[in-house]
Amino acid sequence: MGTESKSLEAMWTELVRLCNAQFDSAPFERLLNVKFTKQRAQHYSIQMAFYVQNRRDCWGYVQGSAPLDVKQMIWHHEQDELVGHKAQGKLDHITLAIKEGEAFGLSAEAFERTAHLEGGEVCFSAWVRLAQRSWLEAIAASAILEMRNSSELIPRGSLSRRIGAIFERDLGIPIKEQINNAEHVVMDVEHAHMLMQVARKNATTDSARAAILRGARESLLIDRVYRGHLADMLEALN
Amino acid sequence: MDIVKELCVTLDQMVNDQFESVEFKKFLAVPLTLERGRFYVVQNALYTSNRRDCWGYVQGGAPLEVKRVIWQHESDELVNDPRAGMDHYTLTVKQGEVIGLKPEDFEKAEVPAMVQACFHAWHHIAMRNHWLTAYAASHMLERRNNGKIVKGGGMSYRVGKKFENELGINLKRMISLDVHVVADMDHSENISEMFERYVKTREERDLVLQGARDSMAIDRAYRGALGYYMEQISG
Repeated sequence: MGTESKSLEAMWTELVRLCNAQFDSAPFERLLNVKFTKQRAQHYSIQMAFYVQNRRDCWGYVQGSAPLDVKQMIWHHEQDELVGHKAQGKLDHITLAIKEGEAFGLSAEAFERTAHLEGGEVCFSAWVRLAQRSWLEAIAASAILEMRNSSELIPRGSLSRRIGAIFERDLGIPIKEQINNAEHVVMDVEHAHMLMQVARKNATTDSARAAILRGARESLLIDRVYRGHLADMLEALN
Repeated sequence: MDIVKELCVTLDQMVNDQFESVEFKKFLAVPLTLERGRFYVVQNALYTSNRRDCWGYVQGGAPLEVKRVIWQHESDELVNDPRAGMDHYTLTVKQGEVIGLKPEDFEKAEVPAMVQACFHAWHHIAMRNHWLTAYAASHMLERRNNGKIVKGGGMSYRVGKKFENELGINLKRMISLDVHVVADMDHSENISEMFERYVKTREERDLVLQGARDSMAIDRAYRGALGYYMEQISG
């Protein structure tokens, strides 16, 4: 194995370690130890739809600054997320999030009339700012959130899988009825590999690999703060 | 007249006025030689790449419904235009074969200083402004290419005709220019529909006008720069 290849593997190992470490952080532990009531699930579900919208903002900015072949890759990625595959009967992920809300007794209007969590808004702005940085930092910042959601990379269970299991345990809603969580459990395994595909071609120097790690670390930091705000919100509800 | 109709009349006037500007007149008056034609085609590929950057940024800042419209728009540009059977960058590179260009000529192409400044300026509008301003700035370049709006034909049509008249290359063989004569009619109409949905107040109208004015100013500077660089190429 060449030096460059070893450096790339080392970078990947570090990215996977960082994703796994998220789950040992205090905010993640707090969030994942909340006992979910119907009301808490409703509010969580609504805020997650806003999170998905922020992901669409960020991926747009990343697409803007990336090289042409990476732009094309992101465009395909956004088909799943933003538009869906009508021919295959697959909904876009925002519609999916709203539809999943029905399982918790939510209407589409509830998503429109509920305010964004203040702390969440601050995190969304931070993610957008990160998405407007140099393209390798920006793509790493967005892709790492999908790596953190890949059950292949997180052996103890990705975030969507864990939340899905909690909803099943606390509310008796089987994961297959949580259509958004169920979709992300599958899709983010596939999406998680995008960063490595990009890195193999473009992360050919130490500074490029450092940019990827920097973007990923900062995004995971925001992710911890965001999950902490979600935990605060849930704990304040009955 | 309602606010959007009035806005569209103003935008139409602005894209027509572009062709009366000293920069556009100068650019379109530079006699084409094969070398100048090659320079233009390579530069046009870089311009297309810059458009992809900007539309990505605009997609990032726009509301969800508009993001979807832009994503669809980028399907033709970035992935595959059914009119051409390929994306628009590949189309431009393929067009280059007609005038003896190889893919390497596009890969190693340098962005001249004045052009680079214009590209940065378009990036700035797309990334740092209200989404309506950013959206209008990118939209106007397609509106300026829409032969249904621009009397005498849009930019792609006029440049295509120059290749035909001055170099004897039929417009149909300049496949990228030819596709854009039609594609930008569709694109500018689809994108323009969003104004109906999102421009309700004078403030929103002004945001659109700001983007349109700024982008047209950069466009004039860009065409002026291309004209200048083409004149430096002898023979």
